Amino acid sequence: MKEKKRSISYAKWGYIFIIPFFVVYAIFTLYPQLLTFYNSFFENYREGLTQIGPNFVGFANYVKLLTPTSEGTIDILKYFGNTMIMWIIGAIPQFVVALLLALLFTSTRLKLKGQGFAKTTIYMPNLIMASAFSMLFFSLFSTVGPINQILQGLGWLDKPFDFISFKISARSLVALMNFLMWFGNTTIVLMAGIMGIDESLFESARIDGASSTHVFFDITLPLLRPILVYTMITSLIGGLQMFDVPQVLSKGIGMPNRTTFTVIMLLNNYLGGSKNYGMAGAISVILFIITGILSIFVFKAMNRKEA
Amino acid sequence: MDQNRKAAIKLTIARILAYLFVAFFVILCLFFFYLLLISASKTNFQLQGKFSILPGSNLLVNLKNALNDTMINIPVGMMNSFIVAATSAVLTTYFSALTAYATHVYDFKFKKLVTTFIIAVMMIPPQVSAAGFVQLAYKYGLTNKLWVLIIPSVAAPSIYFYMKQYLEATLPIEMVEASRIDGSSEFGTFNRIVLPIMKPALAVQMIFSFVASWNNFFMPGLLLTKPEKRTVPIMISALRSADFAKFDLGKMYMFIFLAILPVVVVYLLLSKLIIKGVTSGSVKG
Amino acid sequence: MKKLLSLLLALLMLVTLAACGKGDDPAPAGGDEVAEGKVFNVYAWNTEFQGFFNKYYLGTEPCVDTDGDGVLDGYFENAPGKHWVDEGVTFNWTIVPSDNGQYQEALDAALLAQGEAAADEKVDLFLAEADYILKYVNSEVTQDVKALGVNDMSQTYPYTVEAATDTNGVTKGVSFQCCPSALIYRRSIAKDVLGTDDPAEVQELLNSWEKFDAVAETAAAKGYLMTPSFAETYRVFSNNTTSPWVDADKNLSFDSAITTWMTQAEKYIANGYTLTEGIWDAGKNAEMGKDGKALCFFGPAWYFNFCMGPAHDEAMGDWAICEGPQAHFWGGTWLLAPAGSDNPTILAEIMNTFINNEEVCSALIANESQFTNNQTVNNKFAADPDYGSEFLGGQNDVAVFAELAKNIKFQNNTIYDQYMNEGLQTYFVEYLKGTVTLDEAIQNFYKYVNEKFPAVNVPAE
Repeated sequence: MKEKKRSISYAKWGYIFIIPFFVVYAIFTLYPQLLTFYNSFFENYREGLTQIGPNFVGFANYVKLLTPTSEGTIDILKYFGNTMIMWIIGAIPQFVVALLLALLFTSTRLKLKGQGFAKTTIYMPNLIMASAFSMLFFSLFSTVGPINQILQGLGWLDKPFDFISFKISARSLVALMNFLMWFGNTTIVLMAGIMGIDESLFESARIDGASSTHVFFDITLPLLRPILVYTMITSLIGGLQMFDVPQVLSKGIGMPNRTTFTVIMLLNNYLGGSKNYGMAGAISVILFIITGILSIFVFKAMNRKEA
Repeated sequence: MDQNRKAAIKLTIARILAYLFVAFFVILCLFFFYLLLISASKTNFQLQGKFSILPGSNLLVNLKNALNDTMINIPVGMMNSFIVAATSAVLTTYFSALTAYATHVYDFKFKKLVTTFIIAVMMIPPQVSAAGFVQLAYKYGLTNKLWVLIIPSVAAPSIYFYMKQYLEATLPIEMVEASRIDGSSEFGTFNRIVLPIMKPALAVQMIFSFVASWNNFFMPGLLLTKPEKRTVPIMISALRSADFAKFDLGKMYMFIFLAILPVVVVYLLLSKLIIKGVTSGSVKG
Repeated sequence: MKKLLSLLLALLMLVTLAACGKGDDPAPAGGDEVAEGKVFNVYAWNTEFQGFFNKYYLGTEPCVDTDGDGVLDGYFENAPGKHWVDEGVTFNWTIVPSDNGQYQEALDAALLAQGEAAADEKVDLFLAEADYILKYVNSEVTQDVKALGVNDMSQTYPYTVEAATDTNGVTKGVSFQCCPSALIYRRSIAKDVLGTDDPAEVQELLNSWEKFDAVAETAAAKGYLMTPSFAETYRVFSNNTTSPWVDADKNLSFDSAITTWMTQAEKYIANGYTLTEGIWDAGKNAEMGKDGKALCFFGPAWYFNFCMGPAHDEAMGDWAICEGPQAHFWGGTWLLAPAGSDNPTILAEIMNTFINNEEVCSALIANESQFTNNQTVNNKFAADPDYGSEFLGGQNDVAVFAELAKNIKFQNNTIYDQYMNEGLQTYFVEYLKGTVTLDEAIQNFYKYVNEKFPAVNVPAE
């Protein structure tokens, strides 16, 4: 009773402390978001030095984006699919490797030496700018790059393999880069999760004679699930925003045949140059709806666990 | 005895495999820094042809050219990047912690709503507001102003989320009450008692957001058009497109190398704190 | 936390100090009255012209090495604009890279705000490339240079004036250089394939596309490539079109020259005469090296002087140039006069200097390997038997370019050209590589055009 009274008397501080967050959010994020939504109903772009619009066009921008092409595909959904596929190809090894590394680093049985150095190093690719990193990758995998030279030297290839010209290899390259840039980050976060698990649980399991596999599946994994979900959400959000890596690797066109073209690359095509706020707005709203649907799924999974 | 020896052998094998596994990824990560360094040591002409993984001989020349470039003033770019990255990192961690603290410690009517709202908007990709943001910036003449890139970092939903998880795991409410009895103001309690407890979490998010901001290309690229206001990534893209005649790939890689050097140094110096930060934080979801 | 903050502070100070060390000199405090504004603002996408400007117009940067120690230490004496510096005029350069249209965006913003800008903030001169020059020439943001006093254009090459002239015949700027593009061939391969490496004889064997195709077949039979990139000949065709990419009704169409290029590229790839490497790809550049198999490259002086790295490193002197099948140009920088400049006198003086001042133009050739926009000066160097390029085995490149420049046409250009030219090459090569059908490649190109230019109508299927 006394406890509750005290909390109530301090409630105003709760409001005061969240003011900066919400004021800034409203001005710098919410307002532009609403404006983006508003823009999506207008024709509004520049051609050369001439401003066209804004003219109200209703849902025309959405209709244009969602009308199937002659091949019967809806392009924006195709680009969304590309984004998701490339995210998944990269995210699966990212989580598997990060989880393994986190387990190795936290293992009291193995007691690995030089951990500090290893933990520091694996995060470092994240420090290189994505665009610079993709340029290195580009020269590494070019037709006259060292990878092709080595494969030819070993006699595995008789002529250079053009990695960015085939759907599978081009997408894998994008995924590989994302993997390299983020697995260290994930390892560090997962390690934190594992170290947060009560040590006595492991102790009692060991006394009961449980194998390491059992410990992992029956104790570590279930208890780690919330933090895994957290990292997966942030990774998904990051994945949906994939831009610089495929942009540089595919020369901005999403080659081959726009199969590495992402939603943000589409947004960039409309926004850069002609400043097409109308179409960019519509793409953003569609992206928001798709992200929202996906997030609900992820949240459901998270809440079920926490309940 | 035999059982023990078997177990010992098994452990040794497991250890060797573990070391090999870790070493593979460590080498892979270091390899890209090596690549960057050797690229920065080649002449423009060497970089135009076949790519070789052996170093070139032009390291010092490239360094000299990079530092003497009149168009790309790397110290100015670094200072701009540093102002944006450092202040954003400080603001974003401080205010996320403050907001998380408010929803953790105080009971107020809309607490549940506020928490749900922030976690929900975490899902909205920043690009959704980008088009509107750029339009507003142009409309109100806010291009080429660094603070426009800094202030929005006050409201960072995902960092708030992390801070909240962290507080739930580490801050006993009794500590706050004890501080009140000592006569501390609410704001004072947060600054003097709570912030020190959150040091590891602050350090982690600070470096993560510092790096993200240092390397950010999207928004600064759209808003910073004046050379003296550019951040490093924008300058590097400027170099790439500079022109055919003066385009020097060796110099460009040197710029990239110089650009990540400060982040690497900051990161290495802080890495102990960071590793400790995540591992002692025990973020229980 | 303290440690962290103090570290951040220390770094900040370091950076600040470094920045100060490199800071600009304070503006000279000129006191006397000039009718001209005190600040002259220039917009450019690189520093190439800034260098020439400082060396030869202002005379503030050294341009020659007088004592042979490898460091430039001699100044250009009769710099026409030197007195402005003494009178307290500051020259401000805003340099924005052209990547992703960034330069045009920044320039557009500045030009559209020109009316409200304070006198010292107004753009007084800006640079533009051939690919988008029309956007500015055919608009109100530029002004007639003849009215400013740039009257004598008799020395310039006609195409450079055409490019800067609007649909009403008003000229809005001048070019300080001329960029005719030549056929650059490898002497050793030419000897093997054609039996000669003499430029005149090689030109005779390659002066039409029919002959070019025939030589391609011979070269391939001997194990050589005719060109190192499917897009190597693109500019030759696209400079000689008979219709624009986009007509007055905003309908997009392929000119017959473009479709001819597409047919040629297809045939050359099918027969192994060329590679699917893009114009700037490492795989193409590798063909310039010691193991290079390609006979023909196309490009202006800036291309072989700065962009053929492996050729300089491994095959110096094994090259020569001739006119090739058709005259064309690549690149070039125009100086345009923005409306509302508060420094019209300086503006006109700069333009006159770079097209009519023979001393300045001669220095540009002798010191900077430029091909200038002054015919008298170029012809003087063309006739000089002692002048030659080491890269070209002693050949006088100015002589070849002087001939070529006469036949260049600037026609059928639109504001869309840069995107059309680059977009078509990147999407079409996917077809050449066999990853998409021709129809898919064209459709992808149309999608790209639609995203960049909503008002342009692409052909219905």
